Amino acid sequence: MSRNIAAFLLVCIGVVMFLAIAELPLYGSPDTPVQNYVAERYIDGALSDTGALNMVASIVIDYRAYDTLIETTVLFTSIIAVFLVLKKGIN
Amino acid sequence: MGDLINRILQNYPYIFALALFGIGTFTVLTHSNLLKKVIGINIMEGSTYLFFIAAGNIRGGVAPIKDMASQGEVIHVNPLPQALMLTGIVVSVSVTALSLALIMRLYKLYGTVDAREIHQIRNEVRASGNSN
Repeated sequence: MSRNIAAFLLVCIGVVMFLAIAELPLYGSPDTPVQNYVAERYIDGALSDTGALNMVASIVIDYRAYDTLIETTVLFTSIIAVFLVLKKGIN
Repeated sequence: MGDLINRILQNYPYIFALALFGIGTFTVLTHSNLLKKVIGINIMEGSTYLFFIAAGNIRGGVAPIKDMASQGEVIHVNPLPQALMLTGIVVSVSVTALSLALIMRLYKLYGTVDAREIHQIRNEVRASGNSN
């Protein structure tokens, strides 16, 4: 019963999302709002700004270095939480 | 109507992302096995990655790596969604690790990974505690 309700609600949400797909900019075209001046700047300036041939690496390590730095904090926090949860002797 | 169907068919990667999202959400909602819920969350995250990477794609573009040997104009796909999804993968791994650790604790405590059975055991313990 609850399985049917969940399926029905998911189909309702899915239809709305399906209609939203039609309104999205065309897949693979070079003039979508995603391909704006930010991406242009990264593609053109990655080599001269950071010296990295791989643009993804230059974004992760250099342009958005603070993002990556704080991201390691997320990983660290989850590791500490896992160790606390699995610690022997609590219970 | 024909125009609508045409547009949807041309955006076919988003349909796959939508299908994956639906499958993941359905798994999370309907299964009482906690491990299967974690698998469902991971499927939902996979659909998000697919959506982002597909949104950054350009038809005929190459991977965003500078090739010194190549001559002439080369179209690179957008590197920004790929970099953002690397962050997303780290978060998803953290969430999965933490939830699996919590499920291990629950299994040690109750002897089962089924959310419904855990609820039942808790209710029985509460009822016996009230009668005493």
